[in-house]
Amino acid sequence: MHDHELPAGLTRRTALSLFGLAALGGIGVAPAHASELYGPAAADARKGGTLTMGLLLEPPGLDPFHQAADARIRVTVLLYQGLFYEGSDGQAVPLLAESYDLSPDKLAYTVKLRKGVKFHTGQTMTAKDVAYSYNYIRDPKNGSPGAGDFAVIQSVEATDDATVTIKLSQPNAALPMTLGNKYGGVVPAGYFDAADAGTKLNQISVGTGPFKLAEFKPNSNLVLARNPDYWEPGLPYLDQVNFIFLPNSSGMLVGLRNRRIDLAVVARPQDVQQVEGQRGLFVERWPSLNQKALDLGLEYGPLSDERVRQAISLAVDKAEIMRASVGGLGKVIGTMVAGMQDLWGVPIDQLPNQKQDLDKARKLLADAGHPNGLDLNLTTIIGYDWMDPAALALREQLGKIGIKLNIQRIELGVWVKNFQSKQMGLTFNDWSTQPDPNLLFYRHFHMAPEGADFRNWKDELASKLLDEGRAESELAKRKAIYARFQQEMARSVPTVMLFSADHITVRGERVKNYVQHPTGWYYGLARTYLAS
Amino acid sequence: MVGYLVRRFAASIFTALLASGVIFVLTRSVPGDVVAQMLGQTSDPTAAQALRAFFGLDQPMYSQYLGWLGRMLSGDLGTSWTRGQPVAQMLGDAVLVTLQLSLMTVAIATAVGVPLGVLAGIYEGRWPSSLIQVFNLLGLAAPVFWVGLMLLVGVSTVFDWSPPLLYTSPRQSIVDNLSILALPIVSLGILQAAAYSQFVHQSVVSAFHQEYVRTAIAKGVPLRMVFFKHVLRNVAIPLVTFMGLILIQILGGAVIIESLFALPGLGRLLLSSIETRDYPVLQAALMIVVVVAMVVNLIVDLLYRVIDPRVRLT
Repeated sequence: MHDHELPAGLTRRTALSLFGLAALGGIGVAPAHASELYGPAAADARKGGTLTMGLLLEPPGLDPFHQAADARIRVTVLLYQGLFYEGSDGQAVPLLAESYDLSPDKLAYTVKLRKGVKFHTGQTMTAKDVAYSYNYIRDPKNGSPGAGDFAVIQSVEATDDATVTIKLSQPNAALPMTLGNKYGGVVPAGYFDAADAGTKLNQISVGTGPFKLAEFKPNSNLVLARNPDYWEPGLPYLDQVNFIFLPNSSGMLVGLRNRRIDLAVVARPQDVQQVEGQRGLFVERWPSLNQKALDLGLEYGPLSDERVRQAISLAVDKAEIMRASVGGLGKVIGTMVAGMQDLWGVPIDQLPNQKQDLDKARKLLADAGHPNGLDLNLTTIIGYDWMDPAALALREQLGKIGIKLNIQRIELGVWVKNFQSKQMGLTFNDWSTQPDPNLLFYRHFHMAPEGADFRNWKDELASKLLDEGRAESELAKRKAIYARFQQEMARSVPTVMLFSADHITVRGERVKNYVQHPTGWYYGLARTYLAS
Repeated sequence: MVGYLVRRFAASIFTALLASGVIFVLTRSVPGDVVAQMLGQTSDPTAAQALRAFFGLDQPMYSQYLGWLGRMLSGDLGTSWTRGQPVAQMLGDAVLVTLQLSLMTVAIATAVGVPLGVLAGIYEGRWPSSLIQVFNLLGLAAPVFWVGLMLLVGVSTVFDWSPPLLYTSPRQSIVDNLSILALPIVSLGILQAAAYSQFVHQSVVSAFHQEYVRTAIAKGVPLRMVFFKHVLRNVAIPLVTFMGLILIQILGGAVIIESLFALPGLGRLLLSSIETRDYPVLQAALMIVVVVAMVVNLIVDLLYRVIDPRVRLT
């Protein structure tokens, strides 16, 4: 197994130069080349064929406007497109947008649209469709989980057939990334006028993506077919992608070994071991934007004391927890997910409370009035395999400073309810982000009502820095602001970010040119082909 | 007989109504709802409110229950909240898969288990009986998921073959259909055959100790006739009860085995609808299980009379 290089195309240098341009105010961003999107184009790709991909998580639905599940996003990014693409290096690359200008006061984006784009319905995309789609998603009455991300938008208007103007209530450097592909996408104007429009998206697709929905059978499979009218000439290469839903990894591994499955993403180290070294199978590791974290809800009695939180952080050995839970198939992190560390992260050795120091931890606990330790409940989620061994490792580690951990395994629905009602207590968490620090931190850590502040952190300095970071578009200044935020987070410890688990793909030898995007979404299938 | 059927039908309606209430309360008592599942961790309160209103979750519980009951009684099972497909169609497809799996398992388990049990009863105290009891013990002790997993991995390793991943109905291809169902049926069938065998063995041994059997043997009635006319006939009644129980038990086992072998049956649909809190699908699927259990019990009761004319259905 080897660490895979990030895809070619958009290099980190390009990204930096574009962020630098943004600093000038009133910037213009040039059209993206096809090779910059989705992954590297192949020079000698063979066209045609059906690729079978095994999925352990089935999308609960395919409506990109109302369904937040990551399992949905992973596949619908191939059906629906937003104005921008989440470049692997943390830059928003024009997708359905061709270029854009930002006004000097940074409150208006004028976006030129790509020409010749057709919906799966056959209609040609115009600025009216774009305005309709974004106005629909940002209206909270329409019930989209993405509405909060678009709250900063004041209006989206079609200036002419090929131009939209997006006005903001306050500067937001993350706007292009927000106009990406996690929620929504551009659909024909008026699409949601029909009462059954949302649920109908499980039978038909109305986006502009490289693939169209052919069939979605619950508990069975999802078939995507090549979009013959796709605007990137000659793409995608595959005729069909057949996603087969497998409820457990045993069936997946057997299918991979017997060539019934061409491509799969696996997570458990024991599963990786079973396919490693198998003839004709290639196991690859990719950096991710995922984080496995220990969250500390301040509403939970003892955790309201900063010294207790710091003591916990100082007692944790992140590397040991990672080894116990994913067998080293990841990267220990400080306060930034692995896929964004190079551009946005503060080196872990420059952050407080990261290195295990049991004496200091015991002293902090004693100062906080717990000289003989204390009892704490830790919740883990049933079905998240990594959490069980991680909980045992953590219990042992915290036991060394006198904290007795009582592990409670709860069902995901219960956990989500606790999380949303800000009653998370001490819990493991597993989440990921789009590659922008504002989208990573703001909603989770900014004080209410602007943010959700799920951990009841209520940290004024952190909220002030998050506001500044969102408004600042100059890269160097933005980096400095988020570095200060990370210092504050590491000092005050509302969460202990443990590690980012790698994305691990297993592909048969006939699968070529698949690149796994750091979000975990299957963008790479738009560039994948099957060798004869 | 007609009076019995009418009374039984009325009782069934009452039971189904009672079950519908229990099912409704139980599904709603699981923390979290479809909105939380759809919107995820970082949901917006306004968006959540809008979606709750869309699904009618903002209505009082009794109103939601009566609405569901009314639609169900008029034959409308509704639309899946997460899939957008008609619940009736989803259930219809899934029930056919589970029904085929259950009936074939019962058939194979009966074909294997009953003769084994009879043999064990006849050869009680001798080595064939001991051998069969070892099979019974292993079959009953091995968990279904473990047997299924071992079969899946074992067959794939030894024969370099695994069943097709996508379910094919018998109408599309009987060969593909059987190759998909073979391992799940064997996995479930081993347990059920062992259960049958154990049950029949004990019943046969017990029947041989009955006074009328001993009398018949003492009178010199040929052993074959004693066995078929007296022993087997008396074993038949509890066996039919047992078959009914087994069929219902297989429905429960289907949740595990369908998940293991990726079969799109009722068990897997139940599981996924619990995970997504898709109440229309979950409630309808549970009602189907209740109705199937009631129908099986009714058939069992009616069979009693066929097997033993002395039984009066009142």
